[in-house]
Amino acid sequence: MVAAAQHPNIELMTYAEVKKVSGYIGNFTVSVRKKAKYVDWDLCTGCGTCIEKCPTKKIKDEFNLGIGLRTAIHKLFPQAVPGKPYIDAESCRKLTQDKCGVCEKVCPTKAINFNDKDEMVDIEVGAIVMATGYDLFKWEEVYGEYGYGKYPDVISGLHFERLVSAGGPTGGKIVRPSDGKEPKSVAFIKCVGSRDDTKGKSYCSRACCMYTAKHAYQVKDKIADSEAYVFYMDVRTAGKNYEEFYQRALNAGAKYIRGRVSKIYPRGDKLVLKSEDTLLGMPIEVEADLVVLATAMVPSAGAVDLAKAIGFSVDKDGFYQEAHPKLQPMETFAAGVYLAGACQGPKDIPDTVAQASGAAVKVCGLFSKPELATDPMTSVVDATKCSGCGLCVPICPYGAISLKERKERGGHGQGPFIRQVAEVNSSLCQGCGACVPACRTMALNLKGFTDEQLVAEVDALCL
Amino acid sequence: MRKRVGVFVCECGTNIAATVNTEKVAEYASTLPGVAYATTYKYMCSDPGQELIRASIAEHELEQVVVASCSPRMHENTFRRAVEAGGINPYMFEMVNIREQNSWVHHDKQLATSKAMDLVRMAVSKVLKNQPLQKSTIPITKKAMVIGGGIAGMQAALDIAEAGYQVILLEREASIGGKMAQLDKTFPTMDCAA
Repeated sequence: MVAAAQHPNIELMTYAEVKKVSGYIGNFTVSVRKKAKYVDWDLCTGCGTCIEKCPTKKIKDEFNLGIGLRTAIHKLFPQAVPGKPYIDAESCRKLTQDKCGVCEKVCPTKAINFNDKDEMVDIEVGAIVMATGYDLFKWEEVYGEYGYGKYPDVISGLHFERLVSAGGPTGGKIVRPSDGKEPKSVAFIKCVGSRDDTKGKSYCSRACCMYTAKHAYQVKDKIADSEAYVFYMDVRTAGKNYEEFYQRALNAGAKYIRGRVSKIYPRGDKLVLKSEDTLLGMPIEVEADLVVLATAMVPSAGAVDLAKAIGFSVDKDGFYQEAHPKLQPMETFAAGVYLAGACQGPKDIPDTVAQASGAAVKVCGLFSKPELATDPMTSVVDATKCSGCGLCVPICPYGAISLKERKERGGHGQGPFIRQVAEVNSSLCQGCGACVPACRTMALNLKGFTDEQLVAEVDALCL
Repeated sequence: MRKRVGVFVCECGTNIAATVNTEKVAEYASTLPGVAYATTYKYMCSDPGQELIRASIAEHELEQVVVASCSPRMHENTFRRAVEAGGINPYMFEMVNIREQNSWVHHDKQLATSKAMDLVRMAVSKVLKNQPLQKSTIPITKKAMVIGGGIAGMQAALDIAEAGYQVILLEREASIGGKMAQLDKTFPTMDCAA
């Protein structure tokens, strides 16, 4: 994180969203909305006095998935980069009720600005790398057998990460959300939402087998006399040193049970998991203090809209569609837009890093050329034939056609006049030819596939 | 422009030749109006195959080239380059797919050969109407935007920046780090994520 922040060639633009992208390879204009932070980061030193003094202290900390509380003015997490705070406008008393204003009073550099507004900026770039990542499948909405999220001690793997993290809200102590006690028995359920056609997604999320093995290992490592049960369909450890890592979890005492958990219900202050052990061929019951679900990876919120705004496609699950599954895994169908990480499909960290470096090479390859040669097989308009009806404009999937004014000389006693004619931007045109049959006056032609050429072919076959 | 078409029929080992009588197709092609030269070769995409095209352009003063082989998705660019190396405009070239759309999907050798002849005749008619086309160039803004500041975005941004280009790393949250910043230790090495 710090390396990215300190690199002289990298400009960080956080708390900002892409609203619109126009242009084409080598020449994009990205419209960005920089959200109001209410703190002038040029003045702020990141001293943290405002965070200490903020009286609105009881907001659930989203970064920690609701474990622990935060203030209205806060950093996303203590080691945030940039290490500057911002105000969450919805919970700030000054911004919602015009009361308080303590942070403004205590700030030694007068960095607080309650009048800050969202700002729109246009940025010119030559290439775009999509790295929008993933979200977790919302298991609470569909898995009734696991309690629809009403049992506090049934949590997601990411929640467990915050519990076990030394920098997290519990300082790395694994505790139950319900009563703060250390669990002696932890059950893990894999493939929650993954590989489940009826309730979730048909795909495998790829990272869960490994992080669940890690979690089970951490339970055995951190809690004395603990039990870690892992309910699985398969154990997939296809990666360098992955199988060895799984064996390490087994050797540490993690108990792997092959079967899908059919129901979780409370018994006293424990949770009961009913399942079948398909290797024994009999039903089993396990009592656990804490249940951790390995939930599926899904495309990050807003990712599909962003793809539409830029103009490339997504697959049936909403992940970004690569141009070719084997030969072009970092490219999209939009030239100059590349893919990195889980936005293209579920991925673990090593694969993500590899793809990100690959996408970077694609960008560098593009930038290493002095200028870009374009395919000449594009559409052209014969302006003298064009009636300016505009039918071709919405048909073009690349937004390459627009109506432009054209000065005509006039005749038959008429003076010069201006009329609309279609114009093709040959940099945007991909030569698909969709516009050609739409043109009623046959003013549009695709170079290399002109009407004359196609008629010659048909004549050769039929005459 | 003179009408001097060269037709090159590929055998693709036995991929095409087992189902299409390539000799017969070439023989037929040489009778078509405008065709100055027609021949077959085992692998037209190979170096000697491409050299055959280049040499034939000079030897027979060809102005247009038709290659009957596989899908243009496979080798259109290969043959355009060969045609250009032979000294004529790379767009004075047509490709006929007699593999995916013929030999691989038919069994009757006589019918498949007749279909290949039809396809070659069509391409010869078309290529005679081709016009030389020129590639144009567009400038490149040598600055990249990476959308998303997680591990993928940070890695991509760092690699582009290391290569000496400007990068904007855009993140919708107030800090970069993404999901990775929420993780504790990471498999399989158990090193720290943050």
